[in-house]
Amino acid sequence: MEKPDILILDGAMGTMLQAAGLETGELPETWCITHPERVAAIHRHYVEAGSRVLYTNTFGANRRKTAGCGYAPTELIRAAVRCAREADAGRDVKVALDIGPIGQLLEPLGDLAFEDAYDIFREMVTAGEEAGADLVVFETMSDLAELRAAVLAAKENTCLPVWASMTFEKTGRSFLGVTVPAMALTLTGLGVDALGFNCSLGPQELLPLVRELREWTDLPILLKPNAGLPDPATGEYKIAPADFAEALAKALPFGVFAVGGCCGTTPDFIRCLCARLHAPGPAPQRRARRHGICCAVREAELDAVRIVGERINPTGKKRFQQALREGDLDYIVRQGIEQQDAGAEILDVNVGLPGVDEAAMMRNVVKALQAAVDLPLQLDSSDPKAIEAGLRVYHGKAIVNSVNGRREVLDAVLPLCKKYGAAVVGLCMDENGIPPSAEGRVEIARRILRAAESYGIPREDVIIDCLTLTVSAQQEQAAETLKAVRTVKAELGLSTTLGVSNISFGLPARETISACFLSQALAVGLDLPILNPNQRAMMDAVAAHRALAGQDPDCEAYIRRFSDLLPAPATVAPMQDMTLREAVLRGLGRETAALTEKALREMDELSVIDTLLIPALDEVGERYERQELFLPQLIKAANAACEGFELIKSRIAARGGQSVSRGRILLATVRGDIHDIGKNIVKVVLENYGYTVLDLGRDVPPERIVETAIRENIQLVGLSALMTTTVPSMAETIAALRESGHACKVMVGGAVLTPEYAKEIGADYYAKDAKQSADIAKRVLG
Amino acid sequence: MEARLEKIPRAETLRYLAWHGAALTAELEADLDRCEALILKNARPRLVWRLFALTDGGRFAGTDYTPAGRDIKDFLAGCTQAVLFAATLGMETESLIRRTQLRSMADAVLLDAVGSAAIEAVCDAFCADLSKELAPRHLTGRFSPGYGDYPLEEQRAVFRLLDVSRRIGVSLTESGLMIPQKSVTALIGVSDTPRENRQSGCGDCLGRFACAYRKEGKSCGKA
Repeated sequence: MEKPDILILDGAMGTMLQAAGLETGELPETWCITHPERVAAIHRHYVEAGSRVLYTNTFGANRRKTAGCGYAPTELIRAAVRCAREADAGRDVKVALDIGPIGQLLEPLGDLAFEDAYDIFREMVTAGEEAGADLVVFETMSDLAELRAAVLAAKENTCLPVWASMTFEKTGRSFLGVTVPAMALTLTGLGVDALGFNCSLGPQELLPLVRELREWTDLPILLKPNAGLPDPATGEYKIAPADFAEALAKALPFGVFAVGGCCGTTPDFIRCLCARLHAPGPAPQRRARRHGICCAVREAELDAVRIVGERINPTGKKRFQQALREGDLDYIVRQGIEQQDAGAEILDVNVGLPGVDEAAMMRNVVKALQAAVDLPLQLDSSDPKAIEAGLRVYHGKAIVNSVNGRREVLDAVLPLCKKYGAAVVGLCMDENGIPPSAEGRVEIARRILRAAESYGIPREDVIIDCLTLTVSAQQEQAAETLKAVRTVKAELGLSTTLGVSNISFGLPARETISACFLSQALAVGLDLPILNPNQRAMMDAVAAHRALAGQDPDCEAYIRRFSDLLPAPATVAPMQDMTLREAVLRGLGRETAALTEKALREMDELSVIDTLLIPALDEVGERYERQELFLPQLIKAANAACEGFELIKSRIAARGGQSVSRGRILLATVRGDIHDIGKNIVKVVLENYGYTVLDLGRDVPPERIVETAIRENIQLVGLSALMTTTVPSMAETIAALRESGHACKVMVGGAVLTPEYAKEIGADYYAKDAKQSADIAKRVLG
Repeated sequence: MEARLEKIPRAETLRYLAWHGAALTAELEADLDRCEALILKNARPRLVWRLFALTDGGRFAGTDYTPAGRDIKDFLAGCTQAVLFAATLGMETESLIRRTQLRSMADAVLLDAVGSAAIEAVCDAFCADLSKELAPRHLTGRFSPGYGDYPLEEQRAVFRLLDVSRRIGVSLTESGLMIPQKSVTALIGVSDTPRENRQSGCGDCLGRFACAYRKEGKSCGKA
């Protein structure tokens, strides 16, 4: 047999084990200990067929999946590596420690913390290295968050080469919505040794995905397709070995260095691959590798102007500062949602405030934002600890904002960018301040670029900020900034960014001059304007630029933007006759806010709350009880009232006053339960009734509830459980609260609860619905 | 057989919303239209199923699995085979509902109910297709882990038997709940002779103790 010039991997393990007698539902990994000779025989068949890399029988050998099987992951892994080694028989065969998904979904959609996933993988990879595996391969991954945890665990705890392989559907996305560019950008950034696809699809269906992957990475690509698609009734795969090889051959020119098979493939398939596959012909022409940044489900390619939203930043914003101090993540996340709706393509995230633990806050905000918004993030901090805390839990390729020309800053931050594969913003300033001339700034940009490259960061990941200065204070500097942008773009070929609105401080009609400066900067090569996407003039300027620069084919987006423009509704016309009560009752948020503002001209904040907003809400509640209103209408009304409360909160925050609250309530969905929509409805309603809610989320352990209740001196705790199986953990939580000696009332709710059962488990109140929880709050807290 | 979702029955959605028959406002109807369209746009219905022969002891032939509990034995009495299936609307819908909770809880409540009606519609369509496929044999109704004394813990076994996570991207939490939440697993009995239709009734329902319909002496109409 002629030796092919491409690395031949093995075929399916599961398929072969089933043929050898493994029953459906049995844990395949245990066979490494109970039937090692049969596992070794399968490996040997593959070696004889031509495989030069064997994947160990450890796909599910993690501590979650193997719990209760009688063997620890380390034992299974040791036995599995031994089985593969035995099959070597003097040929130069490499043993790859094979690791599949944990089988439990990570936060935010699932209940497994990133840190726990990391620890599960750490246990496996260290066991694999000790057992003598030559490399580690993560495969069949559909969650980029999980794969990142895996890759970091391998790179931080072993010296093994790391291959990362994901599973996609024909749609070009994984089950979790990961795109091919996001996969390529993130994994290339993390520095894996090879990446590719396996499982789910056959070789034909994989071809377009391989082509796309090739556009976004220079790393070697590995492929292990299924033997076609399975017959649903029998689970059998249809494609013939020769056709499989034929189809795979077509993928070779796209940077593929290793091929094998996944579900349904056998040694016959591997034999056909060896016979059919030779060195690929000359690689097809391709344009320069595409680059950009991404979150798990969306990329922002840096080939055109991308708008960076600046609103997640406490500078000069009292209400935002209050949210940071109170740990009000919802408020911060809403700033992100609003900006996405307004057209932001990247979100800058700055949560630095004296007195706030910036690293912890950055980690929490990044987690909360990626649960709510699918936009790439730009982590904005000067504290390397905060930067790393954010990068570690960010499931994509971020931008770090920022470094500058100071050596110690470069040496502290650039290694983090390299390690986590982030792009980085370099500010054109150093220990001597901001150079007044464009040349001086470009010189610093060069220095930053050299430093980045010395750390192995590719130049396309270096973004230069030539710095916008206030034109009213230093008028000549506007031109210098533009000149520097032009040079950095044209001579260094780097991407550029600017915080645009700095230009107009201290001037009237700020939007006008900011938008004009933005247009000028875009014309000389600004790629990433940092701005407030809620400002129309700025967004219009970007739309116009895209049309003029040919980034908007046929001016389509521009035309759509302005043809959709309806005449603005004459500021809420029917409002003259509407009362605040009616606005709340009809669930009209904007009107409620406007009428609240009007009322505030004659009354103080607390009177507006007590005599107008709360009575309106009470009436909504009564009508809901009488079944005249429906849950969504109740919520809408509560939301409308909230607009009024929010307005009052902002006014008080602006004055630096204490926030108004009718009292604080702790809410949680108990341990084991992830159905939290009920709890979230209660939260919205309680907040809209003027209470402050400490929301601990879902799947919350009793200890955390007790500890928080004591620390925050909470008088009312609300617990929710939807499933019969999780009611016991509700009982456990109540018992723990009582045992702690902390005096507080407990209300419970959830689909399977009854008043009787609530009493039995020791609750003080049973809340049938969100409305009742507000009644209870009123009784307990006033 | 592919998973199908063509139309979401509005009556089902209203049932999940515990609607009591008051007139629907035009605004609410419009909201429902919008939410149905959103779910239809975001749903990626997927399905995995297998047909198992049943041994005399009630074990699934070729596996080490025997469903636990007395109720499932009654349910499968007289059946020679059983179809085990799992269906989901996919993670896009899960994400949509979660994210909407931050934008508008009112919309989220509607989407949640529409999503529940939608996954039921996917299951109904599958059962209709299956009934044709397996004719002239006869099918029972659906029976899911958590019904009667068929424990929710059996979900893990179902997941292993069908390789659910790998095939359709549904995961189990540590406590055995499915994500995406708009997912269903169930058993369907297959028999050679027509038999009393053993649709699962109120007695088998998880929500029977707190059910608003039962308190009014009605049923939700599913039983």
